[in-house]
Amino acid sequence: MPLGIKPGHRARKSRGRLSPFTTLTLVVLAIAMSGVAGGFAYFMPAALVAWNSTAQAVQVPSPSPAEILFSPSPSPSPVAQPGAFTVLLLGSDDDSKFSADHVLTQSMILMRVQPATKEVTMLSIPRDLYVHLSTGGSGKIDGAYSYGAAGAAIATVEQDFGVHIDDYIWVGLLGLVKVIDAIGGIDIVTNSPVMDDYYPADVYGSWPYDYQRVAVLAGPQHLDGIHAMQYVRSRHSDLQSDFGRSKRQQQVLQAIRLKAKQLAPSDLPALATAIGGELKTNFGLDKVAQLVPLAASFDNPDAIHQVLLLPPYVEPGAPGGSLTPNWGLISRLVHQTFP
Amino acid sequence: MISKFLLAVGLAVVMVATSVSSYVYLGSRQSKVAAPVQKPTAATPRAQAFVLPGTIYLAQAGALYSFSAGRFHQLTSEAGWMQPALYPDGSHLVVVRRFASYSDVYAMTPYGAVTAQLTDNAVSARNAWDIGANDWSFYPRLSPDQRTLWMSYDGPKIVGANYFDVDLAVWALPLGASIRQGKAWTVANSYTGGDMQPVPVSGGIMYTKFSYDQNGNRVGQLWFTNRAGAAGRALTDTSAGCLEPSISPDGNTVAMICTYQKQVSYLTIASWSGASLGPLQTVVKDQLVAEPIWAPDGSGIAYLAPGGPAAPFQLWWLPRNAYAPPAPSPIPTPSPTPGGPHNGPLPTPAPSAAPVAPVVKPIQITANLGFDATSPLAWSG
Repeated sequence: MPLGIKPGHRARKSRGRLSPFTTLTLVVLAIAMSGVAGGFAYFMPAALVAWNSTAQAVQVPSPSPAEILFSPSPSPSPVAQPGAFTVLLLGSDDDSKFSADHVLTQSMILMRVQPATKEVTMLSIPRDLYVHLSTGGSGKIDGAYSYGAAGAAIATVEQDFGVHIDDYIWVGLLGLVKVIDAIGGIDIVTNSPVMDDYYPADVYGSWPYDYQRVAVLAGPQHLDGIHAMQYVRSRHSDLQSDFGRSKRQQQVLQAIRLKAKQLAPSDLPALATAIGGELKTNFGLDKVAQLVPLAASFDNPDAIHQVLLLPPYVEPGAPGGSLTPNWGLISRLVHQTFP
Repeated sequence: MISKFLLAVGLAVVMVATSVSSYVYLGSRQSKVAAPVQKPTAATPRAQAFVLPGTIYLAQAGALYSFSAGRFHQLTSEAGWMQPALYPDGSHLVVVRRFASYSDVYAMTPYGAVTAQLTDNAVSARNAWDIGANDWSFYPRLSPDQRTLWMSYDGPKIVGANYFDVDLAVWALPLGASIRQGKAWTVANSYTGGDMQPVPVSGGIMYTKFSYDQNGNRVGQLWFTNRAGAAGRALTDTSAGCLEPSISPDGNTVAMICTYQKQVSYLTIASWSGASLGPLQTVVKDQLVAEPIWAPDGSGIAYLAPGGPAAPFQLWWLPRNAYAPPAPSPIPTPSPTPGGPHNGPLPTPAPSAAPVAPVVKPIQITANLGFDATSPLAWSG
């Protein structure tokens, strides 16, 4: 023992100090942990929204015998391709006129995604189609969601169109606006002006039954969320009414997809914050993770097929101004693509 | 050996710094898709920016800007101003001011001072309960003699009639006169949006008419009419989906965009005989082109198009050589060898490849801006 050093003092000093190796290990560990913690904090909003919006349990009621009798005659189904799936896209007016989960679906698009051939088929279902509802009785198909949420909408489409739906995505009206704003707007070619003197001023106005004038001029343009919503939602000045609107909805979906390809993973929290509770899906997070790169790989516009149910597939004259489906024709059309 | 206390303090500092840095770093890695556009006057001109001749008038976010010698000047506040068009003598502009439920046409100096309100489209206070009784005026133009104002207009209306069909027709009214002295020149097709973008040409008006094709699609078509109330005639086919006509300074060529009923917009030109258009010639195919306008000196065409995929619209310039390449210089013919009569066959000239015209590409003039692509440009010499 060297002179001048008391044994107890040295022991205390040694207990209060760490070796360089331990110190270095601790520093590296601390940097790694805090880096991960910073990343976790950054992605927390996106994770929360994803957790709340995805993997929504959906109860699909089995159709009643009467409804089975009503189902279209079977027709040959397309050859199943590996990995192909069918999604029902639902868009709702969820302004203050309605209570949550009792909203109409102004937009219903049946989408078949075929990853092997990188093809997408979008079939717009007219919201005024008069059908047997899975919850019982008959009515416009846009009411199915209001009677039994996504499960009822899925079951109604499945039983009436004779297709199998794997997944659904529901977006509220404000969700569309916020998504488009969060991605910085979209570029659209409006092939004709959309003029409407009695467009519902129910999103940001104080009185949800009020009207506003809308004029989306023709030609290529960059649309923000509000104007994109006006473009897809207006139907008064279109002879094709809901059909014309469906066509515009498909254009906007494609424009969103095109813009979304420019996004980086770091954009997710801002996007998630913007969407808030305006999106619901039964997709699990694992499937979402698979779909993001898949969506980016669909880059051939000619491989995206748009289908509208125009006359003679539907005819006017059903109760309440709704449309009578010609199930024979619809069945043949639908089963060319949808199993 | 390091004291545990010091190490703990150091680690705490390092951890806070690292977590904040990682958060900030991830934030900085966001894409620029949602980055707000710059004001044209805030954008720094590039050191070797391409300078266009004359002055171009454009609209962004409801404000009018002039662009000359590579610099922007803001003419108005951001208050719904759009669609500038020059008086033929260049002394003034006619512009649209768009409000929530109506729009009006104003006369303005080239420096942004309003000199007159030329329409009065707001519904009176007494009838304010009927929002549909307001009117739109868009795409104003003046006749060459500056006496007639041309525009697209959806009035007049009967209060309380609840029109669901809003179609604009091309109207002409004496400059400064009331709409009661105006006259509808065209009859719009119902439920199409109507007739837009009138352009005075020799002997009449060229405009975009919207109609339903045989498949029920609403499409644009260039039309011409030379008399108020006359049926007019189509200049392009519905399948081409052409709109936004712009007549060249010499009056012999029309620039337009054609969409072919798809999400595309090609810059297209065609000769104009005064009665009909020649074959359509696609000049720019790989951009979403909007609002083409000819340079007053005929040196090219300016237009708006996105600065990147799905991005806001920027100003672009297409030099004349891109669509009217200069004629190749003649290949020299071999001359007889000097120095007397030639015995034997004449030498065959070596085959020279035909001169290849250099590919002239559009030039992007601005970046990070966001011009209103539904607002035609005006260009003074």
